[in-house]
Amino acid sequence: MNRKFSIVFFLFALPLFAQTDAQWVLDKSTLTYHMSHPMHEVNGVSHEAKGKGICHAGQCSFLIAVPVKSFDSGDSNRDLHMIEATRGAQFPIVSLRAQFSEAAITGPTIYADLEVQFAGQTAHYSHVPLQRVTEGNQVQISGTVPATCSDFKIDRPSFLTVPIKNEIPVRVETTWRPM
Amino acid sequence: MGACRTTGLKRLALCCFLISTTRLCVAQEVQNATVMSSVAATIVPTQSSNSADLPSAPEPADEIAQTGRADQTPATAQKQQGQTNQQQQKPETTPSLGDLGFTPQQTQADAQMQARLNERTHMLKVHQTLGLITTIPMVATLITGPQAKAKGRNGEPITEPTAANLDFHIALGGLTSGMYWTTAYYAIFAPKIPDVKPKGAIRLHRDLEWVHGPGMIITPLLGIMAYKQENAGEKVHGFASYHGPAAYVTAAAYGTSIVAVSWPIHWKFWEK
Repeated sequence: MNRKFSIVFFLFALPLFAQTDAQWVLDKSTLTYHMSHPMHEVNGVSHEAKGKGICHAGQCSFLIAVPVKSFDSGDSNRDLHMIEATRGAQFPIVSLRAQFSEAAITGPTIYADLEVQFAGQTAHYSHVPLQRVTEGNQVQISGTVPATCSDFKIDRPSFLTVPIKNEIPVRVETTWRPM
Repeated sequence: MGACRTTGLKRLALCCFLISTTRLCVAQEVQNATVMSSVAATIVPTQSSNSADLPSAPEPADEIAQTGRADQTPATAQKQQGQTNQQQQKPETTPSLGDLGFTPQQTQADAQMQARLNERTHMLKVHQTLGLITTIPMVATLITGPQAKAKGRNGEPITEPTAANLDFHIALGGLTSGMYWTTAYYAIFAPKIPDVKPKGAIRLHRDLEWVHGPGMIITPLLGIMAYKQENAGEKVHGFASYHGPAAYVTAAAYGTSIVAVSWPIHWKFWEK
C-alpha cells in the first residue's frame, strides 16, 4: 500500500519540483548617472525604475526600465537639456536587461551581460560585475554600467565650448523581492 | 483488511486532491501572466533589431515610419509588433517592458515635444553665447564711463569730457544695450516646457533678470539725461547723476547671473 502511495505521490509531485521558475520584482532602486565636465561634476538620480526578473531553465533575465525624464540632477534647466540631448521625448524609457546564469545568483558577484536601450540605440556590455547582497527574502543587486555618450550616438553637450566627458557611467542599485 | 484499504484510498484521494490543487494554482498563475503580458503588449511596443529573442524599448513614430509602415499610425504599428513578439516567444521566460506597469503616457514617444526641446536648446545656446559676448562691450562701457563724465566741483571750473570719449562711451553703451536685448530675446522666446518647475542654479539666474533687466532700461535713459545736461554746460544732477551707480548695479547683477547659472564650478582643467 505504502509503495503504491509513494509511486502515485511522485508521479504527481515530480512536475511540481521540476517547476523551477522564479520571478522577482523590483522593490526599490536608485539609478545615478555621472556626468563630468572640467567645470562641473553632475549626478542625476532617479528612483522611479521598475523591474522584473525571471529565472527559467537555468538562465535569469532581469529587466529594469526608467523614464528618462525622471532623472533629477538638482537643476531643472540641466535636466531638460539632458532630455533634449538624449532624445528623451522621442525615446522616453531607458531599459536595462541583465542576463546571467541562475547558478551565479548565489555568489556575491554576478557577471552579467547587459543590454541597454537608450536614446534609440542599443548597447551591449559583457561580463559586467554586479554585487549581490541578500537581506531576508530580499536581494540587493548593484553595479555600474560603463555607458558612454558615443555608445548611444549622443552629441556631447558642451559648456563654454568644452564638451562633457564621453563617459557617463550609470550606477544601478536595486533591491528585489520574490513575486 | 477492507477498512485498511478504504483508509489507504482516502489518503490517496486526499493526496491527489492536494497536489491537483497546487497544480491548478500554478496553471492559474501562468494563465494570469499570459493575460497580463498580452494586455501589456498593447501598451508597449517591443521589436529589437539587435536581439532576436528579447523585446526592446519603444520605437519612435518616425523610425517605425522608416521601416515601411508609414501607412499605419504609430500606435497601431507598435501594437502589431508587440503581438508578433508575443507569438514568437514565451512571455514568461523573459520579462518585457509591458510587464512593468508603465502608463502609456510614460512610454509614448512625443516627437512634438522633442522638436520643442531641440528648439529650446538651440535658442538657449544662442542666449548663452550672446550673453557671454555681451560682457565685453558691457565691461568696456563701464571702463570708459569715467572718461565720459564732466569733472569738477560746484563753483569750480568744470572739465568737460572730450567728444571722442563721450561718443565712444555712448557707442559702447548702445552696443551693449542692443546685444543685451538680443540675448534676452532668445531666453524670453525660447519654447516653454509645461509642468517644469525651475529648480537649482537657474532660479537665481532667472531672478536676477528682475535686477539687470530694469537696469538695462534705466541706465541708458539716465545716460541720455546726463548727456543732455552735459551738452547744456551743466554738471550732471538730479536723477541723471545715478547713471553711473545704475550701470554698476546692472553690470554686477548681470555678472552674478552668469556665475549663478554656472554654479557650482569645479576648476580642474588640469585633470584628464
